Amino acid sequence: MRNQLTRIIITVCFVVLAVYFLWPTIQDYNYRKQLSKLSGQDSIAYAEKNHDDMLNAKLKRMKLGLDLQGGMRVVLEVDVIQLLDDMAKNKDDNFRAIIKEVRNETASNDFSIIPFFVKKFQDRSIRLSRYYGSMRDDDDKVTKTLEDESGKAVDRASEIVRNRIDQYGVSEPTIQKQGGRRVIVELPGVKDENEVRSLLQGTAMLEFRMLKDPQVSYKVMESIDKFLTGKLETDTISSSTASTEKGKEPAKRKDALTELTGGAAAVAETDTTKEAQFAREHPFFMYVKPDQRGSGEGYIAEKDKERVVRLLNRPEVQQIIPSDFEFLWSAKVQTFQNGQKFYLLYAVKKTSELTGNVVTNAQASVDPEDNRPIVNMEMNSEGARDWARITGANIGKRVAIIMDKGIFSAPVVQAKITGGRSRITGMDSPNEARLLEIVLKAGALPAPVSIIEQRSIGPSLGEDSIHAGLTAIFISFILIVLFMVVYYHSAGAVADFALFFNILFILGVMASFGATLTLPGIAGIVLTIGMAVDANVLVDERVREELETGKTLRAAIDTGYHRAFTAIFDGHVTSFLTGIVLYQFGSSGVQGFALTLMIGLVANLFSAIVITHVIMNIMMDKGYHPKFG
Amino acid sequence: MRLFKKTNIDFIGKRFFWYIVSTIMVLIGLVSIVFKGINYGIDFQGGTEMIVAFSPNVDVGNVRIVLDKVGLGKSEIKSYGKESTLLIRTSEQGEGTIIGTKIKNALTDGFPGNNITILREDKIGPKIGKELRTSALMAVLWALGAILVYIGLRFKFRYGLGATISIFHDVLTTFGFLSIMNGLIPGLNLEITQEVIAAFLTLIGVSVNDTVVIFDRIRENEKIFKTMPLGDLMNKSLNETLSRTIITSGTIFMVLVILLIFGGEVNRGFAFTMAFGIVTGTYSSIYVASAFVLDWTRYRNRKAAKTATA
Repeated sequence: MRNQLTRIIITVCFVVLAVYFLWPTIQDYNYRKQLSKLSGQDSIAYAEKNHDDMLNAKLKRMKLGLDLQGGMRVVLEVDVIQLLDDMAKNKDDNFRAIIKEVRNETASNDFSIIPFFVKKFQDRSIRLSRYYGSMRDDDDKVTKTLEDESGKAVDRASEIVRNRIDQYGVSEPTIQKQGGRRVIVELPGVKDENEVRSLLQGTAMLEFRMLKDPQVSYKVMESIDKFLTGKLETDTISSSTASTEKGKEPAKRKDALTELTGGAAAVAETDTTKEAQFAREHPFFMYVKPDQRGSGEGYIAEKDKERVVRLLNRPEVQQIIPSDFEFLWSAKVQTFQNGQKFYLLYAVKKTSELTGNVVTNAQASVDPEDNRPIVNMEMNSEGARDWARITGANIGKRVAIIMDKGIFSAPVVQAKITGGRSRITGMDSPNEARLLEIVLKAGALPAPVSIIEQRSIGPSLGEDSIHAGLTAIFISFILIVLFMVVYYHSAGAVADFALFFNILFILGVMASFGATLTLPGIAGIVLTIGMAVDANVLVDERVREELETGKTLRAAIDTGYHRAFTAIFDGHVTSFLTGIVLYQFGSSGVQGFALTLMIGLVANLFSAIVITHVIMNIMMDKGYHPKFG
Repeated sequence: MRLFKKTNIDFIGKRFFWYIVSTIMVLIGLVSIVFKGINYGIDFQGGTEMIVAFSPNVDVGNVRIVLDKVGLGKSEIKSYGKESTLLIRTSEQGEGTIIGTKIKNALTDGFPGNNITILREDKIGPKIGKELRTSALMAVLWALGAILVYIGLRFKFRYGLGATISIFHDVLTTFGFLSIMNGLIPGLNLEITQEVIAAFLTLIGVSVNDTVVIFDRIRENEKIFKTMPLGDLMNKSLNETLSRTIITSGTIFMVLVILLIFGGEVNRGFAFTMAFGIVTGTYSSIYVASAFVLDWTRYRNRKAAKTATA
């Protein structure tokens, strides 16, 4: 009986966990439903009241794949040949001919490009060092450098893309590197292809700009704060609808509206706490915390960034900001020691001092004296001249390193830098230094990418798919449930009960993994329902056979479960093996299918063998004898 | 309720007849694959594919005329699910999404006043298609290998071989069936897409599961009835598991039919492939997997007897 108790406890634990992980999804659904009932002012008030909870639920809910919610998926590939061309110096006709040949010959096959390229030179007995590296380098060394650079180009491309997408403001984008040369970008809800295309291709804009004097920037922030006091509630709606259009489609409008109207504005009048009073009196400083040491930047909690962006974008506020002044954001979210995440808002000059194409090289490394991460940056002679002038005139001030409008670093100028070699210190981690290296190189050596795959799915097709998929699941579920009860009576009812838990477990596990539910994923669930029935059929058929041999009910049930186990187990393991293979070799759609299938198979084993057996034992302990038809 | 009373069918005795049926099925499929060919979807072909909804409906012929003007007259154009929705596909490759834009512009110019919605647009570069074909083939081969090893270890090697051959049979016949049926049912697109590949791999899983259940029963009965000839043992095991086989296959078949009808256009190819696969998978567990094991065992026994007498 102790064994029995353990099983019950395990089952209850799993159910609680599944519900716990699914809770944000349920909450998110409820919030949306509530919101769709309300309209106008009511919906804004509701959204404002529950802003943080809603954001939280939205972040943790189960994600839907692009095929279900619509959006764009783009696969970028670094154009290695272009990169080789860009990197070479002293290009002559020979070189150009080889580049052309390589491009033609690799267009239709899968040869890896660099060895092929190197071989072309060796065939003509031309030393690679004529074009790359220094004269003394042998071919092997040059080849290694080229391989290195092509790897780094992927990092650079994905960093540039990530930065731009962050600036553009797509919610829940996925950007991942695949293999050595590809970057996969998934943008839910985005429809304007041309805009996204230009966002993904094009060369990155790297620039150096001086930060504004801290006192001046504080004053500007103060006047924005003063201006906004008491002026917010009335305009929130109009300003939000104006900015809603950017990159969001009508179907997602409601969603966007909730995000946007979660503004600083509509603090409920009845709220008399100190915080609310502060929010009323200082609508800007409520969210923007100026640096205590007076260095001029503002700290904004991650969740408040959108609000502040909205505040700053208001035309009246834009008028307050001086004409040579621009507020720019830190490109990355920063983390305080206590784990709080925040963005930095910098005030910079509107004109740039220097653009990044003068940067010839950048290298992250470690300061030999104190082991701190540093980045060494080199500039060409023209850049070095300007750089010496700029640094000389601004000693003690801060210069911001900006790529595509995102600030990656704002070091203080320590001394006049002549000769074009600079050292940037003050990074918290080697990763930060590497990121800065990537960014600095983006100006000099672009990462040429080409779009090799692009898929866009309209939101209406997505909705149709969800609807169709859910209908299929629902109908199969009902039919199976009915069939089991008719065919196996109370044993069938127990199996149905287990089936319900099975689906709960699948969804719970998916939510806990942060997995994305896709259409093939739904197909996987439908199939799992079918497979779950098989396990129950195996057991119940077996129990029937055992009953026919004249065993008592309890003995027949125990033997039935025992004997059916090997068949169920072996069958599930082989299916699971194909699931693994699918996951390994399949594309993302097929992987979604494989994932739900594998999760489903494990959940099956548990629910069909453990849960149903426990329930039957409990039934018999209570004096109720399950019937097997 | 009980659909099947105790049965006593001589499955194994009729196996030679079914060997011939299987061979013919596989051959017909192969002939169709060779002569009629297989319709690869955009994922494997590369090119640009668009699903476009028109309001009001337009004629496919007119769409072709319109596309012909921009040099894309050779595109494949067919209805997708509803009559108002068309699938347009061309294997033409262009830089970025140029081809897609070309089609869109041609349609808006060619059908002024028509409310045109792009439901889906896929652009696949030429290399991707090739990669996917390779990875799909690799997936099937690896799955077969994994099954051979696992069943070989859990049972005997010849059982693993039997299961693998039966799965090979299922994949071949289903592939042939898709080739034969493609284009015969209006509105049903049977091209090899990612989803259809997923269907093949699921079919492998389900078919092998079915085989394992039967093998499991043979393994169990072998221990109980030690002197019974293998043929009788198999018949006994097949009859004992028949009820389960039919109920399970029937249930999955039903789920697939529901998916076929209600699951939406995107899941249709998957459901259709699987539905056929379930039938052949169930059949092959008996007449390919088990029958192979029996004849292989007999062959080995005869050989062993010969060497013993020699």
